[in-house]
Amino acid sequence: MALSAAQAGEARQKKDIRDRWLLSAPALLLILVAGVGPLLIVVLYSFLAPGSYGDVKWEFSSQGWFNVFFARDIFDDTVSLADAHFSIFWRSIKLALGTTVLCAIFGFPTAYFIATRPPHNRSVWLFLITIPFWTNMLIRTFAIQELIRTEGIINSVLLKLGVISAPVQMLYTDFAILLGMTYVHLPLMVLPLYASLEKLDFRLIEAAYDLYASRFNVLMKVIVPLVKPGLIAGSILVFIPALSSYVIPRVLGGGKNLMIGNLIELQFGQGRNWPLGAALSVTLVIIVLFAMLYYVRNAGKAGGSSHG
Amino acid sequence: MRAISKSFGTFLAVDNVTLDIRPNEFFTLLGPSGCGKTTLLRMIAGFELPTEGQVLLDDRDISSLLPNQRPVNTVFQNYALFPHLTVAENIGFGLKMLGKPKADIAAVVARMLKLVHLDGRGDNPVTQLSGGQQQRVALARALAPQPKVLLLDEPLSALDLKLRKSMQIELKRLQAETGITFVFVTHDQEEALTMSDRIAVMSQGQVRQVGSAREIYDRPADRFVADFIGETNFLEGTLAGSEGSMASVRLKAGGIIRAGLPEGGAPKADLTVVVRPEHAELAAAGSGTFDGTLGEVIYFGTDTHFHVRLDDGGTFIVRRQNTRSGAAAPETGARVGVRLGEGAAQILKD
Ligand SMILES: Nc1ncnc2c1ncn2[C@@H]1O[C@H](COP(=O)(O)OP(=O)(O)OP(=O)(O)O)[C@@H](O)[C@H]1O
Ligand SMILES: [Mg+2]
Repeated sequence: MALSAAQAGEARQKKDIRDRWLLSAPALLLILVAGVGPLLIVVLYSFLAPGSYGDVKWEFSSQGWFNVFFARDIFDDTVSLADAHFSIFWRSIKLALGTTVLCAIFGFPTAYFIATRPPHNRSVWLFLITIPFWTNMLIRTFAIQELIRTEGIINSVLLKLGVISAPVQMLYTDFAILLGMTYVHLPLMVLPLYASLEKLDFRLIEAAYDLYASRFNVLMKVIVPLVKPGLIAGSILVFIPALSSYVIPRVLGGGKNLMIGNLIELQFGQGRNWPLGAALSVTLVIIVLFAMLYYVRNAGKAGGSSHG
Repeated sequence: MRAISKSFGTFLAVDNVTLDIRPNEFFTLLGPSGCGKTTLLRMIAGFELPTEGQVLLDDRDISSLLPNQRPVNTVFQNYALFPHLTVAENIGFGLKMLGKPKADIAAVVARMLKLVHLDGRGDNPVTQLSGGQQQRVALARALAPQPKVLLLDEPLSALDLKLRKSMQIELKRLQAETGITFVFVTHDQEEALTMSDRIAVMSQGQVRQVGSAREIYDRPADRFVADFIGETNFLEGTLAGSEGSMASVRLKAGGIIRAGLPEGGAPKADLTVVVRPEHAELAAAGSGTFDGTLGEVIYFGTDTHFHVRLDDGGTFIVRRQNTRSGAAAPETGARVGVRLGEGAAQILKD
């Protein structure tokens, strides 16, 4: 009796597991085809030799990976570290971090503003936040270019008003890239922050004021810790696409201020070195992976300590 | 608190209230839902600014101070504990914000934990506590910075009956031990009567009466207070004469009784008199103050209610404590008399 009951239980458990796999099959298939598959191809390409007119030759070569880290002088064949690549990687990380911080700084008040509107007005404000998504990013980027270029609207107005005597160089600077990336990625920070702030119990803020907290302490000791999940989600959503930005550094940064995305594109295009491009892509994935691991672990630790 | 008013738009939530709350007193604001208790409390705490009037603390006008500048702490109705902090961090929050040294905070927190019987739970996240425990943390958190005044907005309403009873005793004990002035809000009259030194009964933004539980129960000032607190018999009558604080009233139901005069004397010749059901007793017909016909007799366990139909059409309820020997009760339909004890009747202002 007992035995058959145990057997029946086991059988049901097996069926349960099978059903779960069946249910998640479509999602798994999609991840496999659209995510893991292409990534594997990129990894594979990074170990092949470059073809003469782009594409790859189907023979093993570590040249792609070698070129990520080292540069061979075309004249005397001496090998040195690929400083150019490192500096582009470092620049990209700095710009992506800067974008994330700026998005948090600008996004928080925006999200707070929306979350403190009367409920029936909030959807209108959220709707307004999504307006930039309606047009193509390329067009929006060109619009920013129009604003900040030397003969652009901002410079013209400032010149007319006599605030400046010569146009200020804004386009093709890191400032331009940061401006563009912050603008484009801001909604990705605002939306998760808003979701967290909306759930925030504003009576807690009153309680903090009641307990002698200053405005700054209310923000840092009560609001920020409570909206941390939103802040983390927003930071991830901003950092990853910002790190691999392509259009914005291209249009607003000009040809000189490359980011990783542009470097990779260069290898698949003019550079005709697909294995190097593939190896750079994999490197980018690895950087993102480590950044996320680091971030999530630290965020988890800080959150965990206060939860005992 | 002096002539304080608060309006939201055209709606007057608190209407010209003047209250004098004494140091170290357990003061209760009692009134039905929506009468402005919370609004009044929030003005003391500083979350709402009075439209008119002033809030004074130790003769100092604090009306314009921000909540974090007032030596006043609140126990919120929903507790409003910080979910990201532990029990100890919650209790120490106020002191930390005041910039007290770490060691001092730890000492006070330990003392507070003991005071509210939560020793050893300091490191627990507050989200893991039961309702009663959270309530005690909220209390400890508000007491820790040693405020001059502690405001409590229906802190017990979310608890079940049994827990509520024990927390009532706990609160009284804490108030006595700390010597802090408590301003307690409730719409539960029994809670107010049992706990308070003095009670302010509110209705529609106004304070109707301030006094001790006894004063309010035995000598309600007006119809609202008499009706809101406890069960009451209303009797109509006319003034027949008065001396000192007492007056003679000729009742419509028959008979003349002596009744307490409200502050300021008899309002007019036609009066309403209130008598608590337990302050009257049944008598043989003709031997009481007035007569009537016995209607329903309702047994309540500790006592029995006798509904007496009066000859003027009203109903008068007499409550009699049940004893083991159980004096024989008259039958429904019998003619009975009702005798009012000395000082049982009180004349209303309105
Ligand atoms: N922020 C506000 N805006 C508009 N009206 C308000 C506001 N706060 C309170 N009121 C109104 O003021 C009146 C008194 O409210 P208050 O919260 O003080 O009542 P209360 O006595 O605490 O009631 P309860 O016992 O239900 O808590 C209510 O009619 C309420 O609708
Ligand atoms: Mg209230």
